[in-house]
Amino acid sequence: MKTPIGGAFETTDRGGVHRLGPMQTIEFPMKRYAENEEIDYLIIGVGAAGGVLLQRLARAGFKVLGIEAGPFWDTERDWVSDEAGSHQLYWEDLRITGGKNPLALGANNCGKGVGGGSVHWAAFTPRLHPSDFEIYTRDGVGVDWPISYWDLKPYYELLELEMPVAGPAWYPWGDPHGYAFGPHPMGGVGNTLIRGCTNLGIGVSAGGPVAILSGSRGNRPHCIYRGFCIQGCKVGAKASTLITHVPDALENGAEIRDRCMVSRVHHDRKTNRVTGVAYLDAEGTERFQKAKAVIVSGYAIETPRLLLNSACDGYENGLANSSDTVGRYLMAQAGNVILGRFDEPVRMYKAPPAHALTEEFYETDPKRDFARGFAIQTVGPLPIAFGKQMMAARGAWGWGLRRLMMDYNHWSSFGLLGEILPWEDNRVTLADEKDQFGLPVAHVSFSLRDNDKKLIEFAKNKTLEVMRAAGAEEVLQEARYAHLVGACRMGKDPATSVVDGFGRSHDIANLFVCDGSVLPTQGSANPGLTIQALAARTADYLISQGAVIFQSDKRDMTPPPVRPELSPPGTHGVGMPRIG
Amino acid sequence: MNSPGETSSDHALDRRPIHPVTREPLPVRSQPGYYPGFSTLSQQKYWDAATRGKVLDRIHETPPIRFFTPDEARLMEALAAHILPQDDRDPSMRIPIVPRIDERLHKGRTAGYRFAKMPPDGKAYRLGFLAIEQIAKHSYDRSFQELSWREQDELLKSIHDAKPKAGAHEIWEKMPVHRYWALVVQDCIETYYAHPWAWDEIGFGGPAYPRGYMRLEHGEPEPWEVEECRYEWDAPPVAVSDPEGPDIAAHSEDPPQGQGGTH
Repeated sequence: MKTPIGGAFETTDRGGVHRLGPMQTIEFPMKRYAENEEIDYLIIGVGAAGGVLLQRLARAGFKVLGIEAGPFWDTERDWVSDEAGSHQLYWEDLRITGGKNPLALGANNCGKGVGGGSVHWAAFTPRLHPSDFEIYTRDGVGVDWPISYWDLKPYYELLELEMPVAGPAWYPWGDPHGYAFGPHPMGGVGNTLIRGCTNLGIGVSAGGPVAILSGSRGNRPHCIYRGFCIQGCKVGAKASTLITHVPDALENGAEIRDRCMVSRVHHDRKTNRVTGVAYLDAEGTERFQKAKAVIVSGYAIETPRLLLNSACDGYENGLANSSDTVGRYLMAQAGNVILGRFDEPVRMYKAPPAHALTEEFYETDPKRDFARGFAIQTVGPLPIAFGKQMMAARGAWGWGLRRLMMDYNHWSSFGLLGEILPWEDNRVTLADEKDQFGLPVAHVSFSLRDNDKKLIEFAKNKTLEVMRAAGAEEVLQEARYAHLVGACRMGKDPATSVVDGFGRSHDIANLFVCDGSVLPTQGSANPGLTIQALAARTADYLISQGAVIFQSDKRDMTPPPVRPELSPPGTHGVGMPRIG
Repeated sequence: MNSPGETSSDHALDRRPIHPVTREPLPVRSQPGYYPGFSTLSQQKYWDAATRGKVLDRIHETPPIRFFTPDEARLMEALAAHILPQDDRDPSMRIPIVPRIDERLHKGRTAGYRFAKMPPDGKAYRLGFLAIEQIAKHSYDRSFQELSWREQDELLKSIHDAKPKAGAHEIWEKMPVHRYWALVVQDCIETYYAHPWAWDEIGFGGPAYPRGYMRLEHGEPEPWEVEECRYEWDAPPVAVSDPEGPDIAAHSEDPPQGQGGTH
């Protein structure tokens, strides 16, 4: 065996220093608040939204604590460059999934540990389109948002620099814009998508937008194109709040209490305000933390589950649930995977799964018999995921499975990303079963309606057409769903939504929700960027309100000023979007 | 020594893939697949220490059977020998599947969800064993492991098709047959294709940090990877698991779906 120049690679132990990627470290100990010390903002879940909130609020000088169910990763020690060895990154505690089209959960869409889902996302970062915020007005389906694209646009621009996002100089869809950081080189799957789209006259974006560094920056190295994005980026090239926002939060005095499972949010009936949260620490001991205000950032299943599990006098159907909307209007996007076999090898395990896409079919087209649309994106299943796809898409087992797998390097794969509309009955409720903490687990019910089915059929056929146009001799498709949003939606009307346009619950003035669950509709864009942009906007609102939220129930809906000075150091104003 | 699932009426030779023209069994290989000489393990010095430890454990540590009873473990070996047959592999290079499934069930590790109509995974495995034995008894008046290889493959094919042979109707009322099949096949896939020998077989580059890849386009190999070198083979005539073209049972209202991890 040849030995690398300089010897075999060994991780350097830097004497108990916490490592976030090969170069970035955090010096410990961090701030530790006492349980009886009333902190300002207690954030439940340090994921995509929680990480951004924690960073902004700490930088603005608030006393902030993030309580996270999973571990605070040391990426060099805890993560592996291996598909089967990465289960710890996913929320794999029990949930029940039902309805006519039950959703796969776990590795498919749920993270656990500091960074949450942003640790294992593929990191596609398209923005929503302006039309996504008003689909009821435009198409008579779903519901309008209480805010517009233009309210969120400044935060899209901030987060695209904070992650940062690599992409083309000209991105033509939705509100056209450009990216400050250069696009990635193509891999085999991206070339397939470009070839298929080009042969059909369909516009395509290559090399992004994706939140992966194409060049080294500060203490984060550039991408090495190893393809293990959704197993957690040990390289530190792919953005997660663990490496983009959490270090700055801690440096500014935030505390993260990891491996602590919040069991309920406490409510005082006399004042109609929340007072803190009960949680189980890493040893299983029950504890209570006082707080002036609470922000639930547990994502689209754990957030409604916690509110439902926090039912109390005055809120018998769940905390902040006088509208009976908590848990309802849960959405996943259609995520069918289209696979094509090529005579020439592709080797789709190289390059990030997320590296080319088209949004040419995103908007409602009156010539079609359904509302809204879809995107077509590259995906890059590693062998285990590919094997499961062959089982689902082709019924492979036995010698047929062995034969198909031997051809792994000849296959390319696209994922369609289609908008499924919000339906009242697609919802999270509590099951009879309990988890390891004795807390009722979530029951998730999901069924497609007519518009969804028509959209998926059209999108599937269009994506198959692109794969064939790229030269595939054999094509297959696997039914699947991607991402989760909704289930605590924002809205202007307290009778039909859980929170207002800033994420504050209609029912309780010092209780907020900030994560993917507040989305009223989802468009056909991957939700990660939108979730983080919404978190930065909510943070600006909380900061502009100062102590008012802690002292009164006054609800001021004045939009806050945008605060680019709260971006992590060295991110705002760096790089120059060439267009937009 | 008989391979798992092998009965006295079967010869190991009959279970090997054959040459498509001569119809003769192909010799066993230490490394089947189209990448002769390719070795992901040859790269282990270029892997980070955490990954190296985890992957090497997979080769050197076989967990003890703790969840399955000895009878269940034998039956499970027989099932795995059909779901992921390894008769083309040199016996010393066969990838253990059942111990890893047993370990998952013993530790109570789930995929993070359970279908509403399914029992917990461990119970599903036990109900499945019961169903398979009931079918074997009903249709052949023998236990599953007393059936010929062909009969075993056909019995499992009927479960794969979600049209199980008669004999276990009451169990399939409690547990949707296509969900049971997907559970077991996915567990086998998750174990076999996690092993470096399987990566060598299919030409997958394996762990890649901190070294990474530099040839991203046109399926070109890295300097340490090898070009594809194909050979023709047919499944053994006793097998029914390698049909031409898609072989999928229809579940229009409840289609099988991937567990994701793509986008």
